[in-house]
Amino acid sequence: MAFLEVKNIGYSYSKGTPFEIVALHDCSFSVEKGEYVGVIGHTGSGKSTLMQMLNALVKPDSGTVMLDGKDINADKETARDTRFRVGLCFQYPEYQLFEETVRKDIAYGPTNMKLSAEEIEQRVQESAQIVGLPPELLDKSPFDLSGGEKRRAAIAGVMAMKPEVLILDEPAAGLDPIGRKVIMDMIEKYRLATGATVLLVSHSMETVAAVADRILVLNKGGIAMDGTVDEVFSRSDELIAMGLDVPAVTRIAVRLKEKGLPVDPCVYSVPQAVSMLLKLIGKKEGTA
Amino acid sequence: MIRDITIGQYFPGTSVIHKLDPRMKIILTVLNIASLFLCRNFFSLLLMLAISVVWVLLSRISFKTILKGLKMILVILLFTAFLQIFYNDGGTVLWHPVESWDFKITTEGVFSAIFIAVRIVALILLSTLLTYTTSPTLLTDAIERLLSPLKVFHIKVHSLAMMMTIALRFIPTLIEEIDIIMSAQKARGADLETGSLMQRAKALVPILVPLFVNSFRRAYELAFAMEARCYGGDGKRTRLRVMKLQGRDFAMLAIALVCLAAAIVTSVVDMGGFFLFEKVI
Repeated sequence: MAFLEVKNIGYSYSKGTPFEIVALHDCSFSVEKGEYVGVIGHTGSGKSTLMQMLNALVKPDSGTVMLDGKDINADKETARDTRFRVGLCFQYPEYQLFEETVRKDIAYGPTNMKLSAEEIEQRVQESAQIVGLPPELLDKSPFDLSGGEKRRAAIAGVMAMKPEVLILDEPAAGLDPIGRKVIMDMIEKYRLATGATVLLVSHSMETVAAVADRILVLNKGGIAMDGTVDEVFSRSDELIAMGLDVPAVTRIAVRLKEKGLPVDPCVYSVPQAVSMLLKLIGKKEGTA
Repeated sequence: MIRDITIGQYFPGTSVIHKLDPRMKIILTVLNIASLFLCRNFFSLLLMLAISVVWVLLSRISFKTILKGLKMILVILLFTAFLQIFYNDGGTVLWHPVESWDFKITTEGVFSAIFIAVRIVALILLSTLLTYTTSPTLLTDAIERLLSPLKVFHIKVHSLAMMMTIALRFIPTLIEEIDIIMSAQKARGADLETGSLMQRAKALVPILVPLFVNSFRRAYELAFAMEARCYGGDGKRTRLRVMKLQGRDFAMLAIALVCLAAAIVTSVVDMGGFFLFEKVI
């Protein structure tokens, strides 16, 4: 039995009204402990809904979610307990800050867990350190921070619960490349420190390919692909057909293949592209 | 969930009611509600209830949706009806537990309770149907036109209508936002359902603070965006939509006026004591 197991999940919004939308249908997958999984999909592919099911915020209409062999929707207690074990960081989490000080805001989760004051303080320090918030910022109002600092404080608020599974929905949305790198480094730091399982939701393949071991591709409310980064990228043409934002080098490789050149379209980073092109030129020179 | 709140929502459609001129729809709603409040007996009340039901049928909005909207006010409805039972002590005494107390249930009390309940249901049907079948933009546009004579008194009708449009426009956005903030705080272990009243009120702080902060931010952004496009409410503006009254508008108006007349007549004329209430309910 896998650590986190999703079986035949289905869900629709606004049931019984003219606005009924099927968000997910018959989704199954499992995640092992310590895995780093990228979840990608187009806007409206159901990825956000699926993530909210993993910590029992949304109850599936059909199917089950098992964490560590237990149904997370079994009863209210289990559902609430699951929220501390599976930390979910929403998109634009900085819009959910509310406390007077950054310290109190980060402490909100651990306080709800009813931990001791010392334990809470220690967790606040630890997570602030992981996200790179200097201690002098902890006593400021979260509304006085810069945009990037707010985002980091909000993510620290989820990390402070020390979840065994950390889910982040577009944690780098709206940030510049440096900001994105900082966020990715934070996640890596948390992963190394706790050995947690991480699910990273993004519509950018580039971000996901750089960090994840495995990729889940969602399309139209179903799981379209589930495999290692290489496996998923070997079907690059399908990813493009789904309207996903694949890296520019992948696009080049797919185009070259379409032109009839012997190219492996499984290319997603610049060094890979360089070796692919060198191989291509080398072969041509050899035959000429 | 919070998404299930249907009051004030708009259900797109192509029915007769949807197609009515929105100005006429507002006038009709006001007329019908006026008739409803003039009703003094069950005869006129049932007439108004029938008219409301016909409106719902014409709008082709499913009864399920309408009932869902009514479910929201069920508590208020039952509470009002319950109080009404004791408010009216005419007629035959049905139940009088302690002789020395003034506490008793009479036939008229029960009748007036039913009367009030039916009236509230009809009222909700009529008023929700207006928003169910009219898009918020059309609704405010119509209000602006209906109020335009007030310009004579230097009342900024256009600005008022614009404020209403913006307020209505942001209701769904705010509902969605509350949904997200609630989920996000629940993901951090917020407990909104259990505990004493005080604890539950306190648990709302993590939801209300971000909601207000975000609303102010959004208001500033919208104001800047409008200014950047040189928006000005004053001066002559032309309109995209031209509203013109048609045959069906006048037909519906005629029906509503007949109902109003019927309500007035049956309230004044004594129909042989057919549940005619002397007291104003």
